Amino acid sequence: MTIIEGALEGFSHCEDHRVGFHVEHESNIFRLRITGEWTIREVAQLQREIDAILMPSTLFSDHVGEIELGGLSKLDVAGAWLINSTRKKWSKRGLKTRFAGAGSEHHILIDEVRRSDKAGQPQQRQKSPFQRSLDDALKGIGGIGSDAMMILGFLGTIAATFTHSLVHPKRFRWVAFVHQLEHVGFRAIGIVSLICFLIGAVILQQGVVQLSYYGAEPLAVNMLAVLSLREVGVLLTAIIVAGRSGSAFTAEIGSMKMREEIDAMRIIGLDPIEVLVLPRVLALVVMVPLLAFWGDLMCMLGGAMMASFYLGLDWSGYVDNLHASVTMNHFLAGMIKAPFVALIIGIVGCMEGFKVEGSAESLGYHVTVAVVKAIFLVIIVDAVFAMFLASIGF
Amino acid sequence: MSEINHKRAKSRSREVVISVRNLSKGFEQQIVFDKLNLDVFRGEVLGIVGGSGTGKSVLMRCITGLLSYERGTIEIFGKDVEALNQRERIAMDTRLGVLFQDGALFGALTVLQNIQVPMREHLDMPKSMMDELALIKLKMVGLPANAAYKFPSELSGGMRKRAGLARALALDPEIVFLDEPTSGLDPIGAAAFDRLIWQLQSTLGLTVYMVTHDLDSLFSICDRVAVLADWKIVRTGLPEELREMPNHPWVERYFGGPRAMARTFG
Repeated sequence: MTIIEGALEGFSHCEDHRVGFHVEHESNIFRLRITGEWTIREVAQLQREIDAILMPSTLFSDHVGEIELGGLSKLDVAGAWLINSTRKKWSKRGLKTRFAGAGSEHHILIDEVRRSDKAGQPQQRQKSPFQRSLDDALKGIGGIGSDAMMILGFLGTIAATFTHSLVHPKRFRWVAFVHQLEHVGFRAIGIVSLICFLIGAVILQQGVVQLSYYGAEPLAVNMLAVLSLREVGVLLTAIIVAGRSGSAFTAEIGSMKMREEIDAMRIIGLDPIEVLVLPRVLALVVMVPLLAFWGDLMCMLGGAMMASFYLGLDWSGYVDNLHASVTMNHFLAGMIKAPFVALIIGIVGCMEGFKVEGSAESLGYHVTVAVVKAIFLVIIVDAVFAMFLASIGF
Repeated sequence: MSEINHKRAKSRSREVVISVRNLSKGFEQQIVFDKLNLDVFRGEVLGIVGGSGTGKSVLMRCITGLLSYERGTIEIFGKDVEALNQRERIAMDTRLGVLFQDGALFGALTVLQNIQVPMREHLDMPKSMMDELALIKLKMVGLPANAAYKFPSELSGGMRKRAGLARALALDPEIVFLDEPTSGLDPIGAAAFDRLIWQLQSTLGLTVYMVTHDLDSLFSICDRVAVLADWKIVRTGLPEELREMPNHPWVERYFGGPRAMARTFG
């Protein structure tokens, strides 16, 4: 009789029944004697040890395997799985294996594991990473067209709802509208002021440095005035608002969609476009031009600070310079863009919110997409306006 | 009556696995528990009942360590949970499993990955072994194998609960906490879930702590019922005992109400 020991080390907490097994070879029985607690904490180690048992190949023809369970003190699902899979492995290699000496409570567990083992393996639907990124890319390209259609459709719905509430002003959500005015407009003043002020200062400072090569430092004031009124004020405001409010719209509407609140609204007979979207988009259309105007002022104020520092220009001198360089056209060329930009941010933000599905991951994805898309579209619109206004000589 | 005697014999002279003593807790100006006492025995199915807002879920959260409490002691496996350091706390947590009301599955992971989260976190195991063990758990709770690679948002409410139960069982815990396991299921699904809990309990020798409103669950699988009212556990006993001798107005209304009557005599 040969005995191969396979007991584990480092399990001193249960000295009475050491966790492990012995392998015995007796006449024509190849026996695995199992002892101690076979639980989920030990199975990984136990499996390695069992797999390391060397079995002579002459054994298989006339021998039977036996797994002796009498020494078990504790068994859980993982342990039962290991015992069962060992039996399966041995049988597969040609050693017919049976169980012996199992207590009834252990038998129930092993039978349960055997039953669920028979139920078959699931098919995993998995693509290769390459296939997946290719699919994503194709979907992205195809998505541009459908996105454009969706934005147009959404714009149409909002326009229809807006006309409807012009006819029935009582249906318009005034409270929500005022609430949104405060959130997207009033509360953004601080951050818009700060960023526009700093960027205005930076532009003037850079202008002075670059123009000094031509001895044209005072023209930096000109440049700043035109630049901030036509482009920087409205663009910076749009980017800030897209980051602040566009993302908030997506998150708000998206989480309502996740919790089926949007469906509940529809069932009750409330139109989500009228209740949620219209107040938000209109609030943006009102507030973004005002914020852009404020941003213009702050840009020029930042410039004034830098001008007094670098050019030694005092306040009245700075204002005189502005008077000389700024016309109404510059101001209007910037302002005319603001409502369109607001519309884009509002539409994209709300639309992405409606696309959110069940999971938290989807919410995060759509918030990101809303901000990126809104900023991208704002810059496109800005470029289109710039070219258009230049070609009509405005 | 033999069933009652059987149940009574089952709950006699057994090891206490959870012991709550003089537990007091409040939220701001509201008392939730006042000197609450409760024992949970090894291997039993304990049903916790009580009206809405009496703190059934709060008690479960106190015991599982998700909420703190002001006074009193909670002992699990004979150890005071507040005296544990972080490592002991984690070791204790691996012996507990919790099924939250809507499953609380992680939305970004598949069902199989959800079940593997506790194994991945606490054990050092090869991937193939985790896959096999998770599949066994999946089948034990009665989910079809093709649910393994689905995301929770693609499952029905009942399937999400089963998947949540599979995750709670991932580490072969000794105590399982179930928060309203049958709410939101149709009567057939609820009965199947009751049977599943009973079956798992008898196969795995689990201790089940179940917060429930479901009279059918109480009578069909609970060994013992504890009633939460007036900021403490006012009655414990077999469901049949509580129905025969309520000794408390709320218990009387609960077991004497039209639904309980319809269940017993209908």
